[in-house]
Amino acid sequence: MRKYAVSFVVGLIILCVMSWLIVTFMSYHEEIGNLPLYTFSTISRIVITLLISVAWGVSFGIFAATNKWASLILTPFIDLLQSIPILGYFPMVIGFLIALGPLGIELSVIILLFTSMAWAIFFGVLGAVRAIPTNLVESSRSFGLTGWRYIRHVILPAITPAVVSGANLAWCDGWFFMIAAEYIQYKGTVVTPPSGGLGTLLAMAAYQWQDMNVAIALLIFITFIVVYFNTLTWHRLMERATTGTFKPVFRMDLSGVGKLGVARATSWLHFGRLHWPKSFSIASQRLRKYSHIEKIIAAVLAISTIFVVLYIVFGQFPTFAIISERFSKPPAEELGSLPLLVALTMGRLTIAYGISLAVAITMGVLAAEHKRFAAVFYPLYDIGQGVPILALFPVIFLGLKEILGIEGVALELTCIIMLVLDMIWYMFLNVVSAVKNIPTEIKEVGQIFGFKGLKRITHLVIPSILPSIVTGSILSWGTGWNTIIFAEYLPSTQQGGQPISVLGLGSFLDKAGYEWGNTVLLIFLLGIIAVIVLSMEGFVWRRLLRKFEKYHVEV
Amino acid sequence: MSVLEVENVTKTFTMEKSKILVLDNVSFSVGNDEFVCLVGPSGCGKSTMLRIIAGLEKADSGKILFRGQPITKPTPKIAMVFQLFGLLPWKTALENVEVPLEVLGIEKEKRKHIAEEYLNMVGLEGFENTYPHDLSGGMKQRVGIARALALKPDVLLMDEPFSSLDELTAKTLRGLVLDFWRNPTLPTNTFVMVSHNVEEAVFMADRVIVMSPRPGKVIGEVKIEISRPREEHLRDSEYFGLIDEVVELLEKGKNKTKDVSPVSLTANRANNI
Repeated sequence: MRKYAVSFVVGLIILCVMSWLIVTFMSYHEEIGNLPLYTFSTISRIVITLLISVAWGVSFGIFAATNKWASLILTPFIDLLQSIPILGYFPMVIGFLIALGPLGIELSVIILLFTSMAWAIFFGVLGAVRAIPTNLVESSRSFGLTGWRYIRHVILPAITPAVVSGANLAWCDGWFFMIAAEYIQYKGTVVTPPSGGLGTLLAMAAYQWQDMNVAIALLIFITFIVVYFNTLTWHRLMERATTGTFKPVFRMDLSGVGKLGVARATSWLHFGRLHWPKSFSIASQRLRKYSHIEKIIAAVLAISTIFVVLYIVFGQFPTFAIISERFSKPPAEELGSLPLLVALTMGRLTIAYGISLAVAITMGVLAAEHKRFAAVFYPLYDIGQGVPILALFPVIFLGLKEILGIEGVALELTCIIMLVLDMIWYMFLNVVSAVKNIPTEIKEVGQIFGFKGLKRITHLVIPSILPSIVTGSILSWGTGWNTIIFAEYLPSTQQGGQPISVLGLGSFLDKAGYEWGNTVLLIFLLGIIAVIVLSMEGFVWRRLLRKFEKYHVEV
Repeated sequence: MSVLEVENVTKTFTMEKSKILVLDNVSFSVGNDEFVCLVGPSGCGKSTMLRIIAGLEKADSGKILFRGQPITKPTPKIAMVFQLFGLLPWKTALENVEVPLEVLGIEKEKRKHIAEEYLNMVGLEGFENTYPHDLSGGMKQRVGIARALALKPDVLLMDEPFSSLDELTAKTLRGLVLDFWRNPTLPTNTFVMVSHNVEEAVFMADRVIVMSPRPGKVIGEVKIEISRPREEHLRDSEYFGLIDEVVELLEKGKNKTKDVSPVSLTANRANNI
């Protein structure tokens, strides 16, 4: 406990030093002077939303897992909500803004963050409750543990690891989306929360002042906060949460990597315990066969929600006339090139997927099997997945623009780079966990029969981890869609200036949302994305998983 | 006066698209102070039968009477020991025994006292504050037994309690369970055990009820009249004869085709040697 307190204080000190440096040397932008206040705002916002998400996720998760009707209605609906990129929630948020003024803005930022954070906890809890071994459930029931007693004595302790890892993920997701939530563009104006925030500051630095130095400084500042306190707090919590449970313990034994600080902390990376639940629960949630009833309920709920949103936005009941009128408003005239846009966006996603697949598998296999590589890759993973990619976006673009000169090409490259950086971590994680889980017998068989080198990789290792690669792919594509919506479109850099974009579904969506506020079109395009994602799930991922199921060796 | 009456119990499990009949018109009775063993091949429904008696499952038709009253849900008068132990991993051995007592409304001090007493009885003195993770299989089952007996139930149900243990540990625990059964100071006198191990059943039970493969029916019963303690008789031809009888019944159950006519229940077979 004392070691933890010391490390925490050290972190705080470093933070203070960094902020002092930034404020002193960069106060030619007067906003920078607000850095301490803004830091406090952002952190408190994320903490508040985290607490709300945990409370909601645990209660609804337990409810959905134990009640048949709740499970039927809630699970497919939440699954649907989870697939909507944050941009999709903007119309609802804008409704709040108009109604409530400054308080409304603060509230809407929290709501936006909630939509990025809550689902991880919900599905983690759902999976954990369902995973409680039958003999525990039966013995508890036979000894009279029912109702609230059952929740207190059996469910709550059983889900604690899932809640902690879900909360960890939520924390990271919150930081990821923070820059999008604290700097909302709507019809040419920018809305920011009155108490400011780090996201606001970073966006201003990148989009308005176009100051690379400030942007990078802020980025390092933010990354430090996320990564340092990640490893410190969450790893500690995970350890305490998982003593006395029956889950297999994954410990990466790295000896002597540095003294205090990040290196030491990352040597305590506990992979499987930290993130496995999300890979499992969300991906397996998607692949779960929903019964006909559940699909119908989800569709009905989705349609009614859309109606409610439209009602709020229009202020009146959305009739067919109103809807079709919106379809004739800009930028709907570009609807004709929709197939091309879809093709371009899918193309970008596929290229990035291919690259991240190759890199992640290489890195993953090497890291899982060789300590020397692990010592490099695990800290890389920790930092890499802690950096909010969206925050990197303007920085990368500015940098590339200076090198290459042509804006369009720079943006394309930025897109791909961002996608790769985003998609690679889930894949890496899944590969490492899977390789570590290959049953010893298989490895021994390889040894006895002389499988070495590349042959061993292709004949033994890769087939064993194929199911995990599929679940990793689902997660990667999911986050990829989220990212590309932002990546294809760079908002106007000066007030009244022109935004830069590359042709694609994402930028189309952004135009509809940011520039024209055409809610109907926005929802329509989101629907298109949903259709694409669902078709991929059905025709590609599910098929592959079924095919690879028999590769999975049950221990 | 029988403690447990099972009358014409039928149970079907419904999977996605199919129904599986697991118990077909099963009837038997268990008398006071009896030690009865249900024996049958895997999947014959004996564990399901036990769970229906425990109140964890409901029979589709037929009824179970406990001292004349039908059983609808779990009651502290009927306690159960599980094959996979069923201990809460986040509670110590002592706390695991205390939890059901807490449900009964017993105050804290008394709970602790009773739990310690029963853990002592099963030989786990000194391990009160150990977590299941650090206990061996045999020790975990001892905790399970202590937990069940601490409720002072009338009937103790055991679902293949020794199948997850190695033979040496199982042997020790069998003796322990029989000691508890014979102990006049303990109020629990009626034991019903499910097993797929014929030697174990003949060793422990007064009566062995033999079930057929799925759908489970009672093929017959074998009364075990070897005097106790039976450790001394493990090399007798009588012992092996009874084992053969049970095995014969099992074979008979296996060879029967679908249209089986249920065999009369309280068939008292004379010992054929």
